[in-house]
Formats: sequence, structure tokens, C-alpha cells
Amino acid sequence: MELTGCKELETKVIQENLCTFCGACTGMCPYFIAYKGRVILRDTCNISQGRCHNFCPRLSVDFNDVHRAIFGTSYRWDSLGNVLEVSIARSSDNAIRSKGQYGGVVTALISFALKEGFIDSAILTCPEHDGLPEGTLATTKKEVLLHARSSYIAAPTIGAFNSAAQSGKKERMGVVGTPCQILALAHMRVAPSDMQNNVKKLGLTIGLFCTWALSSEEFIGFLREKVSLSEIKKVDIPPPPANVFEIYTTSGRISVPLDEIRRFIRPACTYCTDMTAEFADISIGAAEGIEGWNTVLVRSEKGAELLNKAKRKKILEIHTMPAQNLAHLQEASLLKKKRGLKNIIQKTGNADDLLYLKADTKTVKEFLNG
Amino acid sequence: MNLKRRDPVNLIITGVGGQGNILISRLIGQTLVDEGYSITIGETYGASQRGGSVASHVRISKKTAYSPLTPEGRADVILGLEPLESLRILTLFGNESSFVITNTRSIHTMAVVTGEAEYPRLETIKEGISRLSQKAWYIDASKMALDMGMPLLANIIMTGALVGAGLLPIDKDRFKDRFRMNFKKEQLALNVKAFEMGIAEITQSTN
Amino acid sequence: MAKGEEKTLGIDANWPGKVVLLMGIEAIARGALEAGVGVATAYPGTPSSELVDRLSKVAKKFNMYVEWSVNEKVALEIAGAASLSGIRAISAMKQNGLSVALDFLSGLAYTGIKKGLVLMVGDDAGALSSSNEQDSRHIARMLDLPLLEPATYQEAKDMAKWAFELSERFSTVCILRSTTRILHGRGNVTLGELPETTYHPRFDTSQICAPPMGRASKSHAALHKKLEEIRRFHEASPFNAYVGPENPELLLITSGTGWLYTAEALKTLAAEKRAGILKLGTTWPLPHNLVSKYLIQADKILFVEEVDAFLEAAVRDLAADLVPGRVWRFFGKSTGHISPFGELNPNIVIGAIANLLDMTYRPRKSAYQKECDRIASLYVPSRDLQFCAGCPHRAMYWSLKDALRLDGRDGVVTGDIGCYSMGQSPAGYSQMKTAHGMGSGVGVASGLGKLKQFGFSQPVLTVCGDSTFFHASLPALVNSAHNESDFILILLDNSGTAMTGFQPHPGIDRNAIGDSAPKVDAVELCKALGIPVTIVDPYEVKQTRDEFLRILKKDKGPKVVICKRECVLIRATGKGALFKVKVNPEKCLGEQCGCNRYCTRVFGCPGIRWDRDTKKAEIDEAVCSGCGVCAHVCPQSAIDREALS
Repeated sequence: MELTGCKELETKVIQENLCTFCGACTGMCPYFIAYKGRVILRDTCNISQGRCHNFCPRLSVDFNDVHRAIFGTSYRWDSLGNVLEVSIARSSDNAIRSKGQYGGVVTALISFALKEGFIDSAILTCPEHDGLPEGTLATTKKEVLLHARSSYIAAPTIGAFNSAAQSGKKERMGVVGTPCQILALAHMRVAPSDMQNNVKKLGLTIGLFCTWALSSEEFIGFLREKVSLSEIKKVDIPPPPANVFEIYTTSGRISVPLDEIRRFIRPACTYCTDMTAEFADISIGAAEGIEGWNTVLVRSEKGAELLNKAKRKKILEIHTMPAQNLAHLQEASLLKKKRGLKNIIQKTGNADDLLYLKADTKTVKEFLNG
Repeated sequence: MNLKRRDPVNLIITGVGGQGNILISRLIGQTLVDEGYSITIGETYGASQRGGSVASHVRISKKTAYSPLTPEGRADVILGLEPLESLRILTLFGNESSFVITNTRSIHTMAVVTGEAEYPRLETIKEGISRLSQKAWYIDASKMALDMGMPLLANIIMTGALVGAGLLPIDKDRFKDRFRMNFKKEQLALNVKAFEMGIAEITQSTN
Repeated sequence: MAKGEEKTLGIDANWPGKVVLLMGIEAIARGALEAGVGVATAYPGTPSSELVDRLSKVAKKFNMYVEWSVNEKVALEIAGAASLSGIRAISAMKQNGLSVALDFLSGLAYTGIKKGLVLMVGDDAGALSSSNEQDSRHIARMLDLPLLEPATYQEAKDMAKWAFELSERFSTVCILRSTTRILHGRGNVTLGELPETTYHPRFDTSQICAPPMGRASKSHAALHKKLEEIRRFHEASPFNAYVGPENPELLLITSGTGWLYTAEALKTLAAEKRAGILKLGTTWPLPHNLVSKYLIQADKILFVEEVDAFLEAAVRDLAADLVPGRVWRFFGKSTGHISPFGELNPNIVIGAIANLLDMTYRPRKSAYQKECDRIASLYVPSRDLQFCAGCPHRAMYWSLKDALRLDGRDGVVTGDIGCYSMGQSPAGYSQMKTAHGMGSGVGVASGLGKLKQFGFSQPVLTVCGDSTFFHASLPALVNSAHNESDFILILLDNSGTAMTGFQPHPGIDRNAIGDSAPKVDAVELCKALGIPVTIVDPYEVKQTRDEFLRILKKDKGPKVVICKRECVLIRATGKGALFKVKVNPEKCLGEQCGCNRYCTRVFGCPGIRWDRDTKKAEIDEAVCSGCGVCAHVCPQSAIDREALS
């Protein structure tokens, strides 16, 4: 029997360990729910290709179609994707810098975008809710500050975007997400027109650099053994050669060897090719080797507009990225991309079958060999 | 109608569990026993109440007691509280000479509620019934009962229709006496009214 | 009819000679009254519930003690106690109930009784309301007890009365056995006299009423001797009769419902001159001489009986040594001429007789038959059992389904007998995975809950009704408390024994006669066993689901969640509705992505209809009971509910 719709998602994505827990299939209907780190199909819907099917970033994504819908050009297999401008930056606001990660640029930009009316609300990730992070809606700077730090744990943030979009109360939302989450939002733009009601309310996307994410339920269990969750102020993975997972608590800092954490990495991350969130308006990560600063990649006109406004209003300090750091970033990104592709090919056993990726396999082969 | 000379006369009252077919069979049966008839009624209880098909087989004879189930093809009169059940009983027990009096309000089966099966349109059911019977009457007893404010009265309206059709050897007035014995004072007037509405409805349809 | 008698004649009518239409089981109740019965007990079970139901309504008038007992074993024990103290008593049960009472019954067979004790057993031939088909007559043979089978509604009354006399004459329990079509069918019954009875009960303490310890086999021999005396007595019973010609081409031997079907079959085939019917009423012990007398007059014998080939086997045994060298041809359930499964009906009997008499019989013209088959296959979908609109079990299974999906460890739900047994089918989202006898759900669950040491990792749950809880689940629950078995008991308290007609049980504050009675509190019982209890309202589906999820995380020992909500049938449709419910067609997404007919296709309450033309869901006012649960279910909040006072 041919699998359709939700059943296809269940069989080809969830059961194949491809699910990144981005949440794009949730928040719209009673059938899919994100619960304790798993996406669960509660009942069977018999629509053959509904929104869940079309939104999922791990079930048949044509990178070219998506790239054209966002940037107007074809997808190129290179290190960083479509980039208009590369810089390092940090927030001018001390309060933001102390609450945020690295330079606090994500927090600063989102607060600014809200203040300027660029967006009317932001979907962020709430780092703790019973310990398990999930998407949350913020409309004030205070709320944004509340959720200002990295999590490293996979959260179904796009589900919150879907619910908010469907509730009809917000018209221009900003979303901060990991590469898979950003891809899901981008994927929505190539869905059939009657399924575009959600993405019509998307005003801005900020992507986060990501190497991998952790499985929530298991990792939270591990954390709980080390510290009471309410005492955690911040977590961080400093750049190599540190090789630790730092937990900053109210009473000090706990360093856990990164190797102890690796077993909690979501299996789906193995098959990811995107380190820098290539489909976002602006992608932001740590500026490796430059403590207290972020790397900022502007990708779209919209992103450029926001960043320039922020520059003019002196919300951010912005400088050119040193060439050495840029090269390093490109190298790391290429590494993840190639590794991801190789893992995909190993899983399918066939270089012409790229699993969820619809791309020209000849180009991909050349990229891998080059 | 030529049933007056038939012995036994086989009446089947059918519907969905909970519609009140047992009350009808009891009223009809008791009236006829008082007239000196030998009556056997076969019925199902229990599980059938939970939305399943139910049927009361009423065997009417002046001579002897018959078995509690109608043999295949021997149903003379089918009184249906639900149209699909009327058709079902007709396919199982009817013959070309059967008479059918049926309520037209459908009760969906579980498979229909969930969308796995389609409930046949009323016209289709009517067509099936007319192909397999001598004459059929269709009465929207449920609507009439809802208008009276008591959906449960549908079975009393249908009883009126059955008695009014004159197919069975039942006297209308003697039957009304039955109500006095079966219903409390407060319920009496409403039930008598429903009964008479059924008689009026079928008399109107026949003419 | 006298003016003062302007009410329906019930089983208590003081009108000897009057012909009334009674159910077979009502006729038995009347027969017991005519015998001056003093005590009547039962546990509800189709087709036997009406005996105590009817007698309970006249108990005060006749100064009777009538009880809905917690189970059939206790019911028979109470009736037995009355009999042993000098009061005529009757106890009623279905075939499964007999299985429950069997241990005590075997003891009674050995001790005998004092005043008449009648055990009425109703076998649900065809399993119309049962989970199995079972022929209780085998028990009579196994325990060496007399068994009678009425063939008509009149006989049901007459035999019931006479059974007390037989019981006293031979100091034995007498089994009065019948099946659904007699017990739940109605027929003409001529009423007899109602006696004035006064009892002076006393238990004779100069006697030991027990099978003799260490010498039970001697009692067994005495029992056989008694049975032979009864057999001789049965030879002349007026409940056995032969109708038909001498030396018939075909001899039909019937008991119970077989008689009416066979008599009608011969009439239908106009074969009354070719076949004769030996109608047996004193089925056990079989009156050998009587049967032999007619056996030797025919070569072809057809047995028409329900449920098993009981008479057939007994007569085959008898015939084996009857006439050296003579061979009979026996037909019946063992040869397939009468279907060995399912209930009897006239068509089966007509078909078997026609076959054996080389007659062709076509009930309908073949063109008509073909048209019936065509129409039935195309336009007449089957009607499955479903929960009533507003049933709290549907809501509970809905919450349970969700909780188990979210829990994700493949939880096992065991169960047993009651309306909630429909949890096995799509009506209950196929949540209930096992069902055996009453109370087995708790037993099986407590067994699964001890398998962790072998690596069993699935959560274990069981669903159990409030009546079943007292009937048979308590011993298993005590066992699980002591053995620390890990499972969750979901106790469905809908305030009565719903499936069979809302008879009271010990957890209800009234008794069979309608008086108020002390309520046995299930919560206190569990607490006394050291078992944690919580109570939820199953109509609050989200809270119930969350409570299930919370308890699923708990570990050691048994846990109880009581889903407390009255059965919707206790209040009639239209009255007692909690809410006025309406679908808002503007918000209803129907088949679209985001809903895909969630309320009608997945939740499946018959109170909601799907309109094919408007493509919207709508509430069916004639069916909806106003529970309001669907308002919680709708993913778009498109179902509005307005609380009614």
C-alpha cells in the first residue's frame, strides 16, 4: 500500500531517525504532536499530502526550488551559501551582552526588530520548561531577554510558529532557529498556494550556526544528575581545542567533557549538511577565537536592511571579519556539509539516492570530490 | 387488504437498539392476546442496545403458537423505526407480498459516522424497499416527534401508523385502552396524541 | 376488564385463568410465585436478568427476600441457605454465571437440599449478548443433577412451579434450563393460583450438611442411585410428549426451543403425516424407556436442540446397546444437519427436515432472492455496536489512547466483560487487548505486572467496571497488593451494572427492592489494601489523559484511577443533558488539512453527523446527549457548548 501524508512522514522520517525535531509538522492539527523530544503521530489523517508533508525539511526537499523562492538564484554547493555580507558584531547594550550568548547579537537584533515594528512578535526557544525547551512567543524586549541564551537541545520551535500563525493574532513574525528549522520555514514557500497561510505571516528569519543538537529527554536526565535545572544560568560549548560542555550555574561553573555529551546527539544530525543556516535572512554564530563577539552573515535584502538600520542606530558594534577567521569558518562549514552528504550516501548505499535531498547528483558528486 | 384471512400473520418490528421496538411489540401483542389470539414474540436484548440492529418478530395466529422467529420470506408486515433496518429486514425475511411501514429518519452506523462507509441516500433505500415489497408507506415520525418536543415518541407515532394501516386485526379504540394501562397519567395525553398522529398520517398517505 | 385493573397485568396479577402475554423468564418468575418462593437471587446476565428484576418489584407484596448478589456463586449460596433452612428459593444466572457458581453447586449436589431449590440457567445460544456459546446441560450430567427444559412460554411457568416439587421430592437442586428465544421471547401464558405462604425457617443443627469427609465416593454412589430414581420418575412426566404418526419416516427429538421450530417446520413443509416429534422436557436424566419406545419406531432420527449435541450424544449412547444388530441413522449438530454454531431458527430446521425427507423447499422465488442479495450487498451496510452518544467509556478510551501514544512504551490494556468490552473494537479505538471472564482483566494485568524480572518493559493497565469490580476483581486486587504487582486499574464507575439494565451492586446505595442500602466504598477498599487511588471525571478528557500520563510514570505496585461519571442511559435523551452543543460552521475545517474530520472520523461519536453536501460536521439533535466532550475534542474549537442548568 502506498504510503501517503502523515504515514509517509512517520515511516520515512521519524522511524528512519531523520527527524530533527524542528516542529514544522506540529502546531497545526491534532495528528502530529511534539512531546518529550519525539514527534508522535497520535491518530492517522488520510490527507495524502498535507502541510506536514510539505513543510518537513527531511522529506523530499529541493534545494534549488527553495533557494530560488528565497533568494531568486539556484543553490550552489559551496561553504557558506548565499552571503551578501560577512562581519563580526556585538550588542552595544551591556544588559543584552550579559544575558546573551557571545556578543548577544541575536537578542539585540530581535529586540530592535520588535521596537522598530519590523516584526510584531518573535518565536524564540524557551530554554527551560520542565527542562525541555520549546518554542515561545515574545513581543517585548523583556520577554526576549528572558529567552536569551543558547540551548543546544533540539526544540520543536516551528510548532509554536505554526500555532501563532494559525491563531491569526500576529501578522509579521520573526523566528530564530537552527538550520533545519530555517529550512522548514523556507520549504513552506514552495508548498502549494493553499498551504502558504502560515509563511505569509513570516517577516524575518534569523538562523543560528549549528553543528549538532542534543536529544532533549535523555540529555535533560543527564543534566539533572549534575545540577538542579533551576540553577543553570547559561551553557556553552567553547571552540576547539577546549572540548568541553560548560554549565554556568548560580554557584559556579561545571565542565563536562564533550565526549560524555556526544551520545545524546540526535541521530538525525548525522544527515545534516547545513552548519550556517543557509536559508535565513541573517545567520549568526560564535566568532571563534574572538571572545564576546558573534559572526554575522547577511543573506537577504531584508536581512541587510535590518542590519544597516541597527548599525545606524548604533544598536550593534560591527567590524569586518578577519580573513583567518573567515577561512576557518568556511572550512568548518564545508566539513559538515561533506560529512553530512557522505553519511546520507552511506545510509542509502547509493550515490544517486540522497534521501530527503532533491539535488543534481552529478553536481553533488563533483562537490564531494572537489 | 388480504391479510385478514391469513394465519399466521407475521409482523416484524425493526430498528436500532434503544428506539423502543420492544414497547410496540408488547402493546400490540397484549392487545391481541386479549382478543383470543395466540401470540409469540421473539426479541433480542442486551448488547443490541448499544447501537446494533434489533428486531421483534411478532407471530399472530388464531389457531396455535408459532416459533419466536419468522422463517425466511414469511414476513407479512414490516414496521421499521429506521429506514436502513427496514430494508435489511425486508431482504432477510420479506417477499413480494410484504407490506412495509417505515420511519424515514436515519441513524448512522458507526462505519458511516467515521466515514468508512456511506449511508445510502433515502431515495436508494426507498427504491430498494419498493422493489421488494407490495406496498410501502414512508413516515417522518422522528421529525413529527421532535416537533412535539419528545424524540422518543417516534415509536408511538409509528405504532399509530401500523394500527391505522388496518393490516393487522387490531381495533384502534381497544388499542388506545392499552395506553391507559401502560402509561402514567402525566405521559398519557402525549402518547395518545402521538398515536393519533400516526393514524392520521398513514390514512392520509393511503388516500 | 374491571375498571380497577387499568394497568398492565404483571407477574403478580391475582387472576387465575387469565391469559397474558409474558416473557419466558417472566413466566418462570410467575411459576416461582405460584410455588410460593420465598427467596430469589441473581447476578445480572443476559438472558437471565429479568427473573430477579421482576421479582424484586413484587418482593414486598409477597414478603420475599430478593437480592442482586455480588456474583453468581454468592447468589446460589444465599438461595442454598434459604433452602437448607426450609424456604423455597430460586437463583438465576447465564451460562457464564453457572461457571462461577460451579464449585458451590457441586457441593450442593452432595449435601442435597431441604425445601425446593431451583437453579435457573439461561444459555445465550448464538452468543447474542455473550462472549461464548456454552451448553449448561453438560453440568447436569457432570454433577448428576436433574435438568428441565421448557419448550413453550406456558411450560416455562408450569415447569418452574413443578421444579420446586421435584426438588423437594428428591432432595436435590433442580436445574431449570432455557435459552434466549424462550426466556426473552413472549407468548400466551394462562395464570395459575397464587398461594398464601408462611415460612417458619429453621436450620436443623442435629444434621451435618456437608459431603462426608474421606467418604465422598460413597456419597457419589448414593447420588447415582438418586439419579436413577429421578429417571424413573421422569418416564411419566407430562412435559414429555409425542406428536405424530406411528412408525414415522423421520423421528424428531427436541428439547427447549427445538419444539416450536420443529412444529412450525413440519407445518410449513406439510410433512406432519411423515414425521413425528418427541418433545422432551425432562432432559436429564434422560427417560430411557420413553425414548426407546419411539426410537424403535423409526430409522432416521433428527435432533433439534440448543446449544450442543447433548440429547444427541445421550441417545446415541442409549441406542448403542438397545437392540443388538440394529443400526439407526442419527442426524443433528454432530452431523452438521443442524448448525453446531449459532442459534436455531426455523430456516435451519426446515432445511434439515426437507433434506432428510427428500423434499425441495425454496422459501422465496429465486429472482426475488437474487434481488435481495444484490440490494443487501450494495446498500445495506452492517451496523456495528458502538458506545452511546455521551458514553463516559468513549471519553475514557479517548484519553487512554492519547496517553499511551504519548507514553510511547506500547502499554498493554487488559479488560473483561461489560459495555466497556467494546474497547476491543474501533468503537473504543481498539484499546482493550484482552477479555476473558468477569474480573479477569485485573487478574491478567496483575500477572503481566510481575514479569519485569524477565525483562518485560511495557506499562500494564486494565479497565474494569464498577459492578465487575465487586463481582470478581477483588481477589485479584488483594493478590496484587500482597505481591506488589505493577499495573494501573482504571475503574469505570458509571453507577450501575449498565450492560444488563442498571441493576444495583454493592457500590450503589440502594438494593434490589429499591430500599436504601449501605454503599461499599471502592476508594476505602483500595486504601485498606494500601493501593493509591485518584478520581477523575472522564468527560474532562485532557485532565484524564494527564492523570493517566502521571500515573504511567509511577513504578511499584498496583494503582487505581476511578473514572467517575454516570452512564448516559440513566438520564433519557433530551433530559439531563449537561450542555447544548452546536458546531460553528464558520470555524469547522471539515476535510481540510488541520482537521480531516477529526470529530466524526476519529472520535466517532454518533451524536455528530458529517454532512456530505455542506462538508461540515453537525450535531444530530436526536442522538446527541449533551455531554459536551466533543467541544474539547475539536482541534479548531469549532464546537460550542452552552451549559444547561
